Amino acid sequence: MICKKVVELLPRFIENDFSEEEYNDILKHLKTCKRCKKEYESMKALIDKLETIPLINVPPSFKDAVMKNIKKGKNGR
Amino acid sequence: MKSIKEEFFTDQEIVKKIKEGDKDAFCFIVDRYQKGLINFIFHMIGHYEESLELCQEVFLKVYSNIDLYDRNYKFSTWIYKIASNLTIDHLRKSNPRTDSLDELNEDDEKKIDVKSEELDPIEKLEKKIVGKEIIDAIRSLDPHSRELIILRHIHFRSYEEIAKISNLPLGTIKNRIFRARKELVKKLQKVEMKQNRGLKRIDKMEMKK
Repeated sequence: MICKKVVELLPRFIENDFSEEEYNDILKHLKTCKRCKKEYESMKALIDKLETIPLINVPPSFKDAVMKNIKKGKNGR
Repeated sequence: MKSIKEEFFTDQEIVKKIKEGDKDAFCFIVDRYQKGLINFIFHMIGHYEESLELCQEVFLKVYSNIDLYDRNYKFSTWIYKIASNLTIDHLRKSNPRTDSLDELNEDDEKKIDVKSEELDPIEKLEKKIVGKEIIDAIRSLDPHSRELIILRHIHFRSYEEIAKISNLPLGTIKNRIFRARKELVKKLQKVEMKQNRGLKRIDKMEMKK
């Protein structure tokens, strides 16, 4: 498989969306091509980092504040 | 207090109750979506207090437009679409000189970033757990790319759902997300290079001592 094809397939490969044939071809290519391997590793590291971003908490009073405004009729209904 | 039975209502069932005039039923919608929406808005605008205010606005708009909700669509898609529109409008108002958010220049992006200095409640968390670089890198993306990254990789929405929220074809969404990821990698690599240069400078200074 040539680099251009691998670079096209990498986004799907990173998200585990590939056929068995594509999987084997890409793995084979990554074993021998340093440039594509680097591209793969940096993209994978990015996704790992993004997925560790923590969620912030909601203040306990938030829901009551929304419901108060709704009952006051601030919504035009 | 919520009963167990109410906890198990589907979104569609809750919406039906609200349409029939049961205002209280809306609290189950708020319960289900408040954390996701506040986090979505917060990562988009980078300001905690403002994200709470904007999220209030989203819920009020959802409530007042509930009759317009088309049950052929997932409720979560509809509610995120409203949040997305209001958030993009909010960002547009913060940058009145900019006609298109895609055309933000570096100075405009910095203006959005200035708000990140006001992140007191979660600043420590960001620094400790993920590293501020990744959060800053996301905030330096143009708002549309930022939204795609947040929906896909922080909120784990499917490409199909993101396409519906953004009103764009699936292929376009996939391409834009791939491009945004590439841009993020570049931005992080630049930061890493700067940090490495800084460390080398410190090493040299230590050696001279």
